[in-house]
Amino acid sequence: MSLLRKALPDFSWWRSVDARREAVAGFTGALLVIPQAITFAYLAGVAPEYGLYCAVFVGFFASFFGNSPMVGGPNTAVAILLGLTVLPFAGRGSPMYAEFVLVLSLMVGLIQLCIWLLRGAEVFRYFSPAAIAGIKVGVGILLVTSALEGALGLSPMTTKFFYEKFYIALGAWQDLVNPYAAITSGITIAAGLLLKKRWQRSYIIGAVLIGSLAGGLIYGLLGPVQSQLELLGHVTLQALPLNLPRLGPQHWLFMEQVVPQAIAIAVLGLAQSLVIARDLKASVVRNLDLHREVFAQGIANALSPFFSTFAGSGSFNRTSVAVEMGARTPLSGIIAAFSVVFIAWTLGPLLTWLPMPVIAGVMALVGIGMIQGNEIRPLRNRVDGPVFLITALTAIFLSLEVGLLVAVVVSVAFFVVGVSRVKFSVSHDGNEERIVVTGNLFYASLDRLAKHLHSTPTARTVLDLSRVPYCDAAAHDMIRKIRAERPRHGGRLEIAPGA
Amino acid sequence: MRLESMKRESVAILGILVLLGCSPAALARPTIEELKARAVLDDYESNIVFGYNIVMQTNRYAGRYAGSALSCTSCHLKGGTQPDGFPLNVAGVYPKWRSKNGVRNGIGLRIRDCFLYSLNGVMPPEEAAEVQAVAAYINYLSEGEVIGRPPKGWGVPTLADTGADPNPPRGQVVYKRECVICHGATGEGSGPIPPVWGLNSYNAGAGLNNIQRLAGFIWANMPMGKERSLTHQEALDVAAFINLQYRPFDPREGRLQKLAEEIYHRLADIFGKASP
Repeated sequence: MSLLRKALPDFSWWRSVDARREAVAGFTGALLVIPQAITFAYLAGVAPEYGLYCAVFVGFFASFFGNSPMVGGPNTAVAILLGLTVLPFAGRGSPMYAEFVLVLSLMVGLIQLCIWLLRGAEVFRYFSPAAIAGIKVGVGILLVTSALEGALGLSPMTTKFFYEKFYIALGAWQDLVNPYAAITSGITIAAGLLLKKRWQRSYIIGAVLIGSLAGGLIYGLLGPVQSQLELLGHVTLQALPLNLPRLGPQHWLFMEQVVPQAIAIAVLGLAQSLVIARDLKASVVRNLDLHREVFAQGIANALSPFFSTFAGSGSFNRTSVAVEMGARTPLSGIIAAFSVVFIAWTLGPLLTWLPMPVIAGVMALVGIGMIQGNEIRPLRNRVDGPVFLITALTAIFLSLEVGLLVAVVVSVAFFVVGVSRVKFSVSHDGNEERIVVTGNLFYASLDRLAKHLHSTPTARTVLDLSRVPYCDAAAHDMIRKIRAERPRHGGRLEIAPGA
Repeated sequence: MRLESMKRESVAILGILVLLGCSPAALARPTIEELKARAVLDDYESNIVFGYNIVMQTNRYAGRYAGSALSCTSCHLKGGTQPDGFPLNVAGVYPKWRSKNGVRNGIGLRIRDCFLYSLNGVMPPEEAAEVQAVAAYINYLSEGEVIGRPPKGWGVPTLADTGADPNPPRGQVVYKRECVICHGATGEGSGPIPPVWGLNSYNAGAGLNNIQRLAGFIWANMPMGKERSLTHQEALDVAAFINLQYRPFDPREGRLQKLAEEIYHRLADIFGKASP
């Protein structure tokens, strides 16, 4: 019963809502999400409609069931992972492939709901921000390399390591590169980088407009045959794209084989969402319930295949835009979902002529945004730096799933190393020795203190444990033993009062 | 002794199995319906089914790249299985040089051209799933054909010279008599019956915009149920009439380029430069 109460949407935010500001934030978010939705659908390897439906339905459900201004919808890392997971099982873009993407999304949603049932939001506290930053930089580099294919008009290639794409493109550029595609995406990227100086958040819209204009001019002057510019094609949107995911024997076989990847995608999606939610809780929404956000993400993704779309997660950049524009409640996300429908419908015929190299340009811009700036801040920190570097390099060179696993392990390892560092200062007051211990005293951190105490058996020692937050049984034992031994050697061990 | 007989038995069973495996029944190509009824399809088979769906209902299954009310099967009759009606069992004749674009065309480029001209749509990329599915379907239909040799009933028949020029006004009379019932007074078609001119039909760059070829197609396949009932001259006339009507422009002509050239020539005239 209490579980049901937790699962039902909570509209307590309704009393304190500033509808006008939420509406403005929602509409801006919808404008931003459209180029991203199309780009991420391309990354996942499905038709652009799926991306737009993701922005509408996953966005709507994540806000409807959530309790924060976090904007859900298509997400880079999740889209890349969905694509990479399904690729070995079906031809990219075929109906079978799309069915597998939907089935995988269902799995991701259900796994996230399981995590919610197990109160799993706690686990994500152990993801250090540095590790998340490392993952993001890894995704950014993946994005830039996959943008390279579209930008230069290459066919999609699968390579072992990301830099091979640069190598191939450089080595055979005369045969491979379509100059018109390269010019179009070059203009898009350049426009984006220039506009970014003035408009930190909404520069992508300007870049898309300028890039499309350039591409349209080339297309109009030379025609489709000579320019060989690829266009997006017709986007046919339905108001309610209801769909029952097919579960034949092939789908069960597929599901059986991708369980580890599904778990990785579920965890990665939740990790990103919860980092955003944690930021929001610290800054603007004090009474934010993290568990409710986990539920909202899970239910939104579990419902996604029933609306012909794929799983998503919270979005860093769109949430920060929404919050900057004054969003404080889930209303902005709900308005954004409806605005996407409206905008996509009005833009529909124009989207047909959107050149694919512009999409590649957007991909590169999103990727560059993920690599630049605040993301690499952890590098300067002595502990965060290695965590960040290890995670980023694993994500780039091995895979995102492995990167994720390494992120957890490395975060925990560095945390443990940090915790087990115990400092103690020795001062002499007459013939009395005073030791002030700072740090957690437990089996892994005892060594040095024990060694010191054993080396001075005749000393009269006062042990100040007032700065020890935690002391385990092994430490108790050690101190008790030495205390019992000391009088035999003529020494003494006392615990300072107040500890 | 016992082992010996078992050995002989197993050899016999193996032989029967091999014979069964080689029998024509087992080798025969499964029909699309049989493929659709199967619970599990491998990638190649599912691709064939997807290709078949695209050919039969292009706007539903390849709507992203289609741009008219036509489906592939509007011209490639009966899903590309009709001889003399642009049959699709042509995998063996590609790659092939074509005057249309002046390069060697693989089957992929050939299919993409169809999307651009005959379907008046957007040219899909070479690796698009839709293109590969149609290619798989073409391969499936081409089973048993000799590679390098044109299949029987390839394309449409070339009509013998009638000695008279095509005459559009007489073609209009034929159109009103024979075609208007299905294709409509304004050539708009309805449902599965394709529009033959207007903005929902093939564009001016399509292969059927050639009077000779359209005449051959009409003579061999139209009116449905009364095929080959028109005379060669009537077919020519009606083809000329249909191709005189308005339809989307040839995408090979860059419209903006024409405009730019026009502006350049005007400016050159004004400033007295020699035009190139």
